[in-house]
Amino acid sequence: MSRGIKEVFNILIASVGGQGGLTLSRTIAIAAVSEGLSVRTGETLGMSQRFGSVTSFVRMGPQNAVMSPTFSEGMAHVMVGLELTESVRNLRYLSEGGKILVADTVKPPITASIGTARMPSKDELVGALTSVDPEAVIVPARKIAYDVSNPRAANMVMLGVFNRIFGILSDDAVINAILTLLPGRRGETSVAAYKAGIKWAEENKVVQG
Amino acid sequence: MAGVRDLPERINPLKAPAGTRLALMGNEAIARGAVESGIYVVTGYPGTPSSEVIMTLQRFGKDLDMYVEWAVNEKVAFELALGASIGGARSLATMKAPGVNIASDPILSAAYCGVNGALVMLVADDPGPITTQTEQDDRWFSKLAKLPTITPSNPQEAKDYVKVAVMLSERLQLPVILRTTTRVNHTVGDVVLGATEQPRKFKGFKRDPPRFVRAGMRWNLERHKWLNKQLEKVEGILNELGISINEVHGDGDVCVVTEGVTYNYVTEALNLLGVKEGVRVLKVGQLYPPPKEFLKKGLRGCGKVVVVEELDPYLEETVKTLLYDEGISIDIHGKHDSLLPMEGELNVLMVAKALSRVIGVPLPRTLQVSRETPALPPRPPPLCPGCPHRASYIAILKGISKAGFRRDEVPIFGDIGCYALSVEPPLNAIWTEHSMGASISMAAGMKLGGNDKPVIATIGDSTFFHSGIPALLEAVHKRINMLVIILDNTVVAMTGHQSTPSWSVTETGRKAKPVLLEDVVKALGVDNLAVIDPFDVDDMANVVAQYLRKPGVNVIIARAPCALMKVRAEGVKAVYRVDPEACIGCMACIRGTGCPAMYVDENGKAAIIEEDCTGCGLCAYFCPRDAIKEVRHE
Ligand code: SF4
Ligand code: SF4
Repeated sequence: MSRGIKEVFNILIASVGGQGGLTLSRTIAIAAVSEGLSVRTGETLGMSQRFGSVTSFVRMGPQNAVMSPTFSEGMAHVMVGLELTESVRNLRYLSEGGKILVADTVKPPITASIGTARMPSKDELVGALTSVDPEAVIVPARKIAYDVSNPRAANMVMLGVFNRIFGILSDDAVINAILTLLPGRRGETSVAAYKAGIKWAEENKVVQG
Repeated sequence: MAGVRDLPERINPLKAPAGTRLALMGNEAIARGAVESGIYVVTGYPGTPSSEVIMTLQRFGKDLDMYVEWAVNEKVAFELALGASIGGARSLATMKAPGVNIASDPILSAAYCGVNGALVMLVADDPGPITTQTEQDDRWFSKLAKLPTITPSNPQEAKDYVKVAVMLSERLQLPVILRTTTRVNHTVGDVVLGATEQPRKFKGFKRDPPRFVRAGMRWNLERHKWLNKQLEKVEGILNELGISINEVHGDGDVCVVTEGVTYNYVTEALNLLGVKEGVRVLKVGQLYPPPKEFLKKGLRGCGKVVVVEELDPYLEETVKTLLYDEGISIDIHGKHDSLLPMEGELNVLMVAKALSRVIGVPLPRTLQVSRETPALPPRPPPLCPGCPHRASYIAILKGISKAGFRRDEVPIFGDIGCYALSVEPPLNAIWTEHSMGASISMAAGMKLGGNDKPVIATIGDSTFFHSGIPALLEAVHKRINMLVIILDNTVVAMTGHQSTPSWSVTETGRKAKPVLLEDVVKALGVDNLAVIDPFDVDDMANVVAQYLRKPGVNVIIARAPCALMKVRAEGVKAVYRVDPEACIGCMACIRGTGCPAMYVDENGKAAIIEEDCTGCGLCAYFCPRDAIKEVRHE
């Protein structure tokens, strides 16, 4: 089902450390390379992996076309958000006409919980996203993942939605990539979450072209 | 890649056959490069962004017949690698930038004795700085240590250049530095694998004092002359071997000199600007000694030069000196004329802006988006849910009050590790975090300086083994009154859970002799020692209070495993839940712990994200209404 791509395609993944943003970016990279594409991912590993803000840049394109591990503001074709606050925080990376796909999860940072910073409401966050992309796709990813018995696999639900909309990678390539990265039962439930994401996208008719 | 497991050989990054194309992180590619170049001894000390080289070799390299283990610190690691190399084995030592400072003593002398088997040093710098204490530019270190240094621009080159470094090292009989930056170490890219080679082990070692005996010897001057001669050969050897790590792309009157990851930014920036001709890009792979012939030839006929590099203007100054010597006077742009910043990372847009100014082409409109977003609460990384350090610092702060002191009169010296995150609200615990082991020595120094109030040093177990032992020895010997708290989570946590000297089996399954903290501390002669579980907050606070009032060097070992490691190994057995009926919304739990599993719900009550909670129960300790209850998993 791979449609392939002729030019470099930039994805920004916004998440909170521990939500699986890095696994998501790595899954896309493995799948893309197995489909003969070139990839680069740029992310900062380290302490932010644990409950800090995590921004991953994923770039794929024809061989030798992708060079930089990151891209600059205004260059993301799509933003995949695993959390609403972090998605809004990274809006500057989205290109003119770029697409937003986000999980409807909100994780207030400690700074907000202890009252040193104000936390915008969920409506404000969603409003900020839809003011940029009126057709922003907001996915009940945690619930979908919960229903396939792995609340930690919301990242894979988002991958399903992403791939159903953009269709750059074949399902086989994605599923193999998931199983390469995640051993045993985690891999199985992650594949189930990925498929559930595809199904949700189809049922909710968010499928493009 | 996450998880320890057996991958099918065709996708195992270390075992897949030559010609396979895989998505590899720069550090995984370097690990593969080690296998492709017959390296036998690999050692280092964990440090972001260098750690995944050894982690990858340990995970995927079982039965490859290599020695791959962490060492107690970078100096020891380098010396292990050097010892192996002078005996003819090929070796690799990995470290982050500050680790080079720890190891610098043996490195400088190694340039005089040289090696027999190849010795490659991976030095990972961190523009940004993203996870490092300073933006140390180790290209200056290469110049200081007089060691040949090369740099890759992407994961493929990261792998390939390990082999280049090995060849250079054996031809020159010198250690060679492979210098990377975070955006190469941590970038995943498509990498085509090459053939692997049998590891080269010990061949023999002949007594040769002029080479291997240093201190104050008459022959050191001769060795320095030898070293300088070797350095002159680097560019020639690369040419002779047909290795082109210095490349010229395009042609024109404007010359862009660049290196490492910034080469990618330059190429993409030129594409964005639509500049197809008139620009010549010189990509420098050989950082030290600079490739003079290449630069002279490449810069011939240039009207102006732009140097694009991260960190200090190292290449810029190199190019300036070279052109001065050649009697050429042209404009050279870079950091000294503020075209590009002296600090921080570069990116495609910054480079495009700089080049557009020099070349005189406008920046495309599409790159000038600006977006208004609502103000958002920052999200600095906190201590994990269930982290034992949270409990330790809560107990330390309580202990200070119990001993009758104000919090602002007892400085808590911190050290390098996750526990430095205790600096953030709500704990606001540590006052300093400086360099490995410095908590103990700096606290002792403040006492020596005349502070008559108590001082506390807090240091992790692996940091203590790394550099804290001599500091504690100093404090004991000089009879300083201080409290040292060793936060023993039994692992090097911050960098991804590596082994410490207290383990009885290493990551590779090697049997090791566990070195126990309390044995070491007792042997150093401290006055009082207590070993405590920090989750017994009141007990620990009592001992802290007691030790703050007792003269002598008093040590507490606060021992509880890293929560993240424990959860990965054992799963979560119980979580805590807030009863919204009983909760009065006082927020004592959240303000007391700062646990990231907790938040304030729409009704102003405390709540816990179930899948993030690890069941430590600290929040319940703070609740005045007993509203937080344990829920056991079946
Ligand atoms: S990794 Fe371990 S030691 Fe570090 S903050 Fe998390 S629980 Fe604490
Ligand atoms: S028990 Fe409380 S403090 Fe501990 S991890 Fe769970 S929510 Fe955090």
